[in-house]
Formats: sequence, structure tokens, C-alpha cells
Amino acid sequence: MKTTFSRKQLAIPYSLFLIIFVILPLLVIGFYALTDSTGRFTLSNFLNFFTDTNTLGTLFYSFALAFATTAVCLLIAYPTAYFLASSKWKFKSVIVMIFVMPMWINFTLRITAMKEILNAIEGNLAFYPFLNSVIGMSYDFLPFMILPIYTTLTKLDRSLLEAAKDLGAKDMTAFLKITLPLSLPGIVSGVSMVFLPAMTNYVVLDMLYNSTYIMGSLIGSYFSAYDWHNGSMIALVLLLIICVFTLLSNGDAEDANARGGALL
Amino acid sequence: MRKIFCCFGLYKNIKRALAAVMAIGFVSSVLFVPDKANAKSSDDVVTLRVCSWEEYIDEGDWDEDELIELPDADIIGDNSLVDDFTEWYFETYGKRVNVEYSCFGTNEELYNMLTIGDVYDLVCPSEYMFMKLMTEGKLVPYSDEFFDESVEENYYAKGVSPFIKKAFEENEINGEKWNRYAAGYMWGVTGFLYNPEVVSKEEVSSWKFMTDSDYKRQITIKDNVRDSLFGAVGAIKSDLLTSEAFVNSDDYHERLFEEMNDVSDETFASALAFLKEAGNNVYSFETDSGKADMITGKVVANMQWSGDAVYAMDQAEEDDCYLAFQAPMEATNLYFDAWTMLKAGIGDDREKQHAAEAFVNFLSMPENAVRNMYYIGYTSVISGGESNIIPDYIDWAFGAEEDEEDVSYYDLSYFFTEDEGSEDYVLCVPTEQLDRQLGAQYPSEEVINRSAIMKCFDEETAVKANQMWINVRCFNLKDIPVWAFVFGGIIIVGVIFVLIINKKQK
Repeated sequence: MKTTFSRKQLAIPYSLFLIIFVILPLLVIGFYALTDSTGRFTLSNFLNFFTDTNTLGTLFYSFALAFATTAVCLLIAYPTAYFLASSKWKFKSVIVMIFVMPMWINFTLRITAMKEILNAIEGNLAFYPFLNSVIGMSYDFLPFMILPIYTTLTKLDRSLLEAAKDLGAKDMTAFLKITLPLSLPGIVSGVSMVFLPAMTNYVVLDMLYNSTYIMGSLIGSYFSAYDWHNGSMIALVLLLIICVFTLLSNGDAEDANARGGALL
Repeated sequence: MRKIFCCFGLYKNIKRALAAVMAIGFVSSVLFVPDKANAKSSDDVVTLRVCSWEEYIDEGDWDEDELIELPDADIIGDNSLVDDFTEWYFETYGKRVNVEYSCFGTNEELYNMLTIGDVYDLVCPSEYMFMKLMTEGKLVPYSDEFFDESVEENYYAKGVSPFIKKAFEENEINGEKWNRYAAGYMWGVTGFLYNPEVVSKEEVSSWKFMTDSDYKRQITIKDNVRDSLFGAVGAIKSDLLTSEAFVNSDDYHERLFEEMNDVSDETFASALAFLKEAGNNVYSFETDSGKADMITGKVVANMQWSGDAVYAMDQAEEDDCYLAFQAPMEATNLYFDAWTMLKAGIGDDREKQHAAEAFVNFLSMPENAVRNMYYIGYTSVISGGESNIIPDYIDWAFGAEEDEEDVSYYDLSYFFTEDEGSEDYVLCVPTEQLDRQLGAQYPSEEVINRSAIMKCFDEETAVKANQMWINVRCFNLKDIPVWAFVFGGIIIVGVIFVLIINKKQK
């Protein structure tokens, strides 16, 4: 028998991966989220999510943590990326590499190291759990913010800025009217890569002695009490929130993601 | 004790990564070399799938200077106990056994693994978990031969401590005694590991210590509902539990058991309030990092299981730091980890059951019990029966000469013998050891007297307990000030606005 090779077949390995590790687990989560312990269909888990003050409080805390992390990352990343992109310095690719470098090391190891540094500075970590979590997560996610912004800024058409200057715009005006709007796709991409993982990354909190649950640890606590149904529902609702964000920020972010990814 | 790695958490992570690599290796070997591997294991080799706690068995590789020289035996761990078992089994029974040894992190994790469909033959859960498995009918009872003391290889039946034997005979669930389904492995009590240079023994003698604001952010407590709840109940009932009338009452033990297993709504509500307060006072809730944090001095006290306390004290001593252990006066939680055989794995396979029981017996050989105790710090349920190895080991590890200064006599008769008034098991030890490793590894009769077993929660109570725990740990919506709501709302609306504008512009 003669087998013909087509380009479509190249997609088989990834499709298999997708089915086994993404689609099937999603179906399982969906199933558990919408059933009770006897296996019957129910919406009570869904109602629980929006009526349980602990779940909502945790959602709020996670949002606050993720927001602070994103804000810190953005404040550090934008000037850095702007400086790197606009400088003509020979070694700037080395600097970019230095920012990317931590990503080559497993994040738990990085946080373990950071814990000791923070401990030396603060003396007792447990007094500032929220601050420490923000520092830890910002350290963790900073490269994800820098890279997309850096790539959009390097692609920026310089002639636009020159034209603005010719027409008499001050530096600040040129930045606000041209650079900032055009780098927005990079910012959106960076924000979505930082904000959403920060909401569930409970390992960082655990390692830095923040005892308050965030969404990730709340799901875990339901699972360890064998309540897979409420745990799955929380995961599902989070997923829906993420979907809404992604849809809203779709399009331009994808472009920047792709380019950011190429740099990694 | 053996210094494995100074950073426990790191070690575990590395171990997990290794386990993952090994799992991938295993899967690929199964996928790509199916013929040879299967042919070998199907006929003449019994495969025994064992699942136990992480770092809960001697893994061998001791240094030569770690040799334990006792009058009756020289003990050293060259190979892991699992390897030694396969060799011993072949020598004793002429059959090959292949042990697939894997680990779990918490009882709940084990239970979830079993629910998902992982199959094991022999597992080592704590008492409340094997009670749960018993009620669900998931366990295989031990055979009658296993308890026959006349068989030489029945080291468990011959060597188990009378104290443990009694506990496993007296405790039952749904009318079934523990000892039908469970053979003890390690046991211990809960209490505080503390730094005596900073904290006094009196202070850690009450569970109320958790909320002591003199040590704000300097204490760690356990990150699981059962241990924390036990402490909380001890604290809120402190006055009653330590009152003379209560302690001297005739039915003290029964009443203590009832009080510590009180799961009424009022008690849960008080426990919640107490744990919330404790949560705001302590350094953190931990399961693993507490030992390392004690040694590095990040915290001054740590709610701890006696076995881990011994391990931490040994490690700390290597850095010339001396820690101590105290079981609070109100009550201490007496716990047991025991080997149980699973129906899903063993089924009707007599050969497998024989191998599983032999595994338990092998670990119960006094020499091997010593190896485990030396390696992991926990206390074996084995007292050794006729053999003197266990008492000799305690003497080797902790004993003092009678003419030394500051020595005390320590009576461990309750653990070793049923003879009342026997003086064979009164040890001469340095007085300081009473609060240190010896007192933690072999609690005094006085501590045992105020110990209570914690029942297995029924389904309703388990849900209630978990809800309480979530209440302790979560940030509640009601705690959020109004300005935060307004601020949060503005931000969310703002972000959505920017995103929509941005989309329209394109």
C-alpha cells in the first residue's frame, strides 16, 4: 500500500497532545463542575461560587494581588523596554538577555533564593505577606512583561516620531500621541501574560509564607477535602474569566505574543 | 541522624523532578521494550506495589562511622531496606519479589490517588485514614498466620509493643478492630518544637501558645485541619482539661477522648475564632518548611509531630543549635501510621498477600526498626519482644552512666512490657534528654497519659471541618472595606474601557 505524506499529518502529534492534555481534562473539569457527589446534574456549585463570601473574598484578594503585581511589572518593564529599544548601545542585546536569563531557571528555585534575600532585608518575612507576594511574583513574571513591550517598541516606525518633531511636537506629546498608543498591543499582551497567572500562582505565596488563600490554593483545599465538584467549578469560572479577558484583548496581543515568544 | 539535605523543601522538589524523569523513563521503557520486561515479571516474580510517606524508610548508604554497635548486633544501612527485603524474601521463601515503591505527601493525597484509580497492594496511611478505608471496605484483613507468634518470621506479631498492641486491639470502627486490617509502623504525639533559649517550657506547655502575642510572627503551626483543630480544641478547653477535678476523675481517659473529639457546632465556632486569631499571630501554616525554619532560627517554635521534631533536633545539633520538644499539658494527639493491604491491589492473590505480610514482618525485625528510627527520626511500634535490640538502641542513643552529673531515671515500661512494676526498662539518661530527642521519640508515661486519639470524621463533619478551615484561611468578602470595592470597580471598568476603545480603533 502506498502511503502519501501530506502536510496535514504534521499536525497529528500536536492534535494528540491537545486532546489528551487539554480537551479531555477540560471535559472532566466541566463534568465535575456541573454534577454533585451522586453524579447528578446540578447548578448548585455554580451558585456556591457566587454566594460563598469566602470564594468571593478570595477572588477579590487574588485580583488585588494580581493587579499590584501587574502594576509593578508594568512600571518597571515599560521604562526598561523603552530605554533598551531606543538606545543605540552595542550591548543592548546582552542586557535583554540578562532580563530573560532568570527564565532559564526553575521559578521555585528562584523564589527560594529570593526568600533568603528578602529575609535578610526584612528580618521577618511574615510581617509583610502581601508585599512579599507582590515582590516574588513581580520577580517571577517581569520577563513576560518586558519582552512583548520591547518587541513592539523596536518595531515602532521611527519616521512617525521624526514627523511629529518636524511638526513641532514636544517629546512628551510625541510619546503620548505616538509611542504609547502604538505600544499598547505589547502592553496588553504583557498584562495578560502577567495578570492571569498571578491570580492562581499559589506556590509563590506558600514559599513566601503568605497564609491567605488565593484562587489556586482554594481549589487545592477543595480537592484535598475530596470535594472535586466545587473545586472544579471554581476552576471553570476562573477559566471563563480568563476567556473574557483574552477575547477582549485578542488580535493585537497575539501578534506581540508571537514576537515575544520568538525572542525567548 | 543522617544529614540528607539542609533545605528540605528544595530536596523534595528535586526528588519530585527526579520522580518525574523516572516516571517518563519507566513509561518509555514499557512502551518500547514490552517483550522482555513482561515475560520476566509475569511467571515467577511477585510484584508488590508499596506506597508510603516520603522519607519514611531507610534508604541505605550510611557512612561507616554511623555503625550502631549494640551488644547483640552491629547495625548499619548499606542498601535500602527495600532492596534488603527482596534479598531476604528470596533467601527465606525461595521466591523473587519485585517491590515497586512509591510515595505520597498527605493522607488526603493518598486517598485521592486511590480514588483516581492508582492501584497499590500495601499502603501506610495514618489511623484516621485507614479507619476511613476500613469503613469503605477497601482493605484486606491480615491472615491468621500473620499473628502466629510461633512462626520465626512473624516479627510483627512477636515484636510489636504491648502498648501499641493494646491500642490496635481496643480501638475499633463500626465494630471492627484496627488490628484486623492494620499493622502499625510508626507512631508519635503532637506538640511544640521550640528553642529553649528564647521560649520557656511553661509557655509551650499550653496550646494557647499559638496566640501568644509575645512571639508574634515567630511560631509556625500545621497546615492541615486535623492537627490545627486538635490544638485549637485544646486551647479553648484549656481550663477544663488542666483542672484537677478533670485530671483526677476516674474516667479521665474517656472524658479526655470525648472532649478532644468534640465536633459540636459551638466548639467549631470557638475553634474557628481561635484559629483566625492564631493565623494572624503565627509566622505561617506549614507542613514541611517548619523544621528548616526552626534550624535556621527564622521561628522560635513550631507545632510538630514528635518524629519530625526528633529529626529537626538532630539536624540542629549538627549546627550546635539545641532545640527541645514539649507536648502541651491539655492533651496531645496520639497518632499511628500503619500498613494496610488494599483489596484493589491484593484481591485474592495469596502470593501477593504473603509478600505484603512478609514486607511488614521484615520492617518489624528489630534491626530494621532501629535502622528506620535512626534514619527518619520517627518511633517504631516495635519493642522487639524477646530481643533486646530496641532497648539497647535507646540506651546506645541516649543512655548515660549512673555516676555522671545530671542524670535521671526514665521509665519506659509501658512501651516494653505488660508486667506491672518491672524495672527492666528504666533507663539512666542525661536529664536534658527528657525534653529533647528521647522525650520526643519515646514520650514519657505521663505524656501518654494525657494523649488522645482523634477519631475519623464522618462525612458531615469532614465537610464542616473543611468549611471551617476555608474560613480560617480565606480572605472573606465581609472583611473588605468599602473604599477597596470602589477602587476595584473603577479599575475593572477602566481596563474594560481601554480594551474596548483599543479594539474599536483597529
